[in-house]
Amino acid sequence: MKRFLPLLPWLLALAVLALLPQLLTVKYYLHLSILALIWVVVAQGQNLIQGFTGYVSIVQAGFMGIGAYGSTLIGLHFQWPLWATIAMAPLITALFALATGYPSLRVKGHYFAIVTLAFNLIIVIVLVNYSELTKGEAGISNIPKPWGGSREAFYYLALVLAASLTLLAALISRSRVGEILLAIRQNEDLVAAVGIAAWKYKLFAFVVSAMYAGLGGALYAHFQGFINPEIFGVAQSLDAILAVILGGSGTIAGPAIGAFLVVFLPELLRFADSFRLILYGLILVLATIFMPIGIVGIAKAAFARIMRREARHGG
Amino acid sequence: MPNHKFTRACAALAMTLVAGASLAAEKKLTVGVADALTGGGAVYGLPQANAVKMAAEEINAAGGIKVGPDVYKIDVIAYDDKANPTEATNAVRKLIDRDGVKYILGFCCSGSTSAVASFIGNEKAVMLVGNAAERSITTKKIPNLVRTRPPADYTGQAAGTFIARKGQKRIAVLGALDVGFYAQYVDSVEREIKKTGGEIIAREVFSLKDRDMTPQLTKIRGLNPDAILVVGYVEPAAFVYRQAVELGMNIPRYGFTSGSEEQFLRVTTSEQMEGVWDLRPTELTLLSASKNGIAYHANYTKKYNASPSPSSPYAYDQLYALKAAIEAAGTVDNTEAVAKALRNLAVPPQVVMQYQPVDGKMFDVNGQAYTSNGAFQWQKGKWVFVEDLPSDSKAYSQFLSTLN
Repeated sequence: MKRFLPLLPWLLALAVLALLPQLLTVKYYLHLSILALIWVVVAQGQNLIQGFTGYVSIVQAGFMGIGAYGSTLIGLHFQWPLWATIAMAPLITALFALATGYPSLRVKGHYFAIVTLAFNLIIVIVLVNYSELTKGEAGISNIPKPWGGSREAFYYLALVLAASLTLLAALISRSRVGEILLAIRQNEDLVAAVGIAAWKYKLFAFVVSAMYAGLGGALYAHFQGFINPEIFGVAQSLDAILAVILGGSGTIAGPAIGAFLVVFLPELLRFADSFRLILYGLILVLATIFMPIGIVGIAKAAFARIMRREARHGG
Repeated sequence: MPNHKFTRACAALAMTLVAGASLAAEKKLTVGVADALTGGGAVYGLPQANAVKMAAEEINAAGGIKVGPDVYKIDVIAYDDKANPTEATNAVRKLIDRDGVKYILGFCCSGSTSAVASFIGNEKAVMLVGNAAERSITTKKIPNLVRTRPPADYTGQAAGTFIARKGQKRIAVLGALDVGFYAQYVDSVEREIKKTGGEIIAREVFSLKDRDMTPQLTKIRGLNPDAILVVGYVEPAAFVYRQAVELGMNIPRYGFTSGSEEQFLRVTTSEQMEGVWDLRPTELTLLSASKNGIAYHANYTKKYNASPSPSSPYAYDQLYALKAAIEAAGTVDNTEAVAKALRNLAVPPQVVMQYQPVDGKMFDVNGQAYTSNGAFQWQKGKWVFVEDLPSDSKAYSQFLSTLN
């Protein structure tokens, strides 16, 4: 029984999320929940490279853009079925990630962050200027939506994908590959010293992370029905990083919680009118300073303290 | 005594009935505004939101919207969309799904507007677009969407004719050309000047957040153009005008910016602006304004302690058009009927902009309204309306109908 105890919060969260469309009377919150679930996919990908491997990548939104435009353009120009175009999105993104990851991962730390930031800028510039294909800043409208645009149905699709990809991230983190990624984060030189080709594992994390983002981008495009380059700018890449930090870097639950925060928090702060973004920024700064281990980290520490106290009283 | 009792009872009953009747007749109509209230687009979005609120107060003070026996007083909810497509979608979803709003106004910026336009056709709501100038917004034949501002290329055509007439042949463009509607404006200018042997010799780009344009201007200066054409948001355009003077470029400067005097003078001096042309829809400036325009300017300045931006009446006019359409349709609940009434509307007498009706209607079959275009010149600290730019709204409307 004790073995299954850690699964209990996950099962409870899944049950609540599964019932959510029936519980919500205001469909605006369902709309935000779908966006949040898409961001869970994107943030789980970001966590693989940032949280587990220790490399802060600032190109996640750019990869979302590649997935979104890839899926949309294949559908428009080759008349592929919608499901096939969504399935293609992570594969296309993986190709771009392979091409960009190989040179990027030759540098470390801040340099890696700057190189990936440059890639995000380049992706946006190409999307804006290659307007014959992408329609530039005006964007692409009327992107097909599955099930005639039913938000309830799309919610369940996003929930299934977010849950599956969270499970996949958990499996990766508990595998040998995951252990090596954690070792790279702790001491990359030591990993190399014991004869492991760290670059292969870093590239793996980067490409898988990009595939998550590509799928997230395709889901976004087919949910919103409209894309333009602005949606995939550096600001959105920073949101992905924030989701990981706020929730808890290097944990599985953290990015999921952080994704809901970065979608819901700015919306809940709408009452503050023009002070909204100042307030949002302030909350983020304070949270990052005072909660560097994120919400999950704090919850774990609090739980451990309670358990210790219980043990003391029990003894 | 019983008689007094009876009289009092009758009076009380009558008062209750009258009060009840008046309570039943006076209702509230909530309209939403989704616009850029913060960020780079706020120079257009915030004045638009203010303009809608002011129009609502005026309409309420004048008795509200009359629908059969009912009178509706207008309540405005404004949400910030930061000119961002995702934020705009969230804001409009909140207005429709949570606040139960059926009429959404504002929309200063093209990207965010296009995002909302992509789904509004499936909603029981009416969308009235203001300053967003991207052409494709009204080429999709969305029945519940109308726009008060004409597309940028409609104005660009008239601007090109004007520049060609001035005799300049070699024009260098510096602008936010990665923004679709600015590029469309320049394309139209180019088509017109080519007819008289002119050409565009450079297309240099700045982004909306750029402030140092000297590299682009230095390159342009080396090409020795006859004139420069600046297209973009007010602030970067103001920096271009200022830095062109600082670099000693003594050539005619044309622009497409729609900024107010106050907005330009935050960045540049009046001397540096002297002689600059703004070739744009005949938007609000005191010298071009009608009686309505002068009153609008005075009321706005008094209420908000700042001059209105020239494009802000696009949003002000939206609410008067909506009022007239609701009264014509005789319903606030049936959005289809109101959308249809908007398409059949004559220009309401209270509007500020000088619309050019097509077949007697404010909005054409595409839901597009047209204003006249004008040449404005900066003279001694003010935008001075110099002349109308010939524009054929009917021909453009037919062209717009052919696009998809």
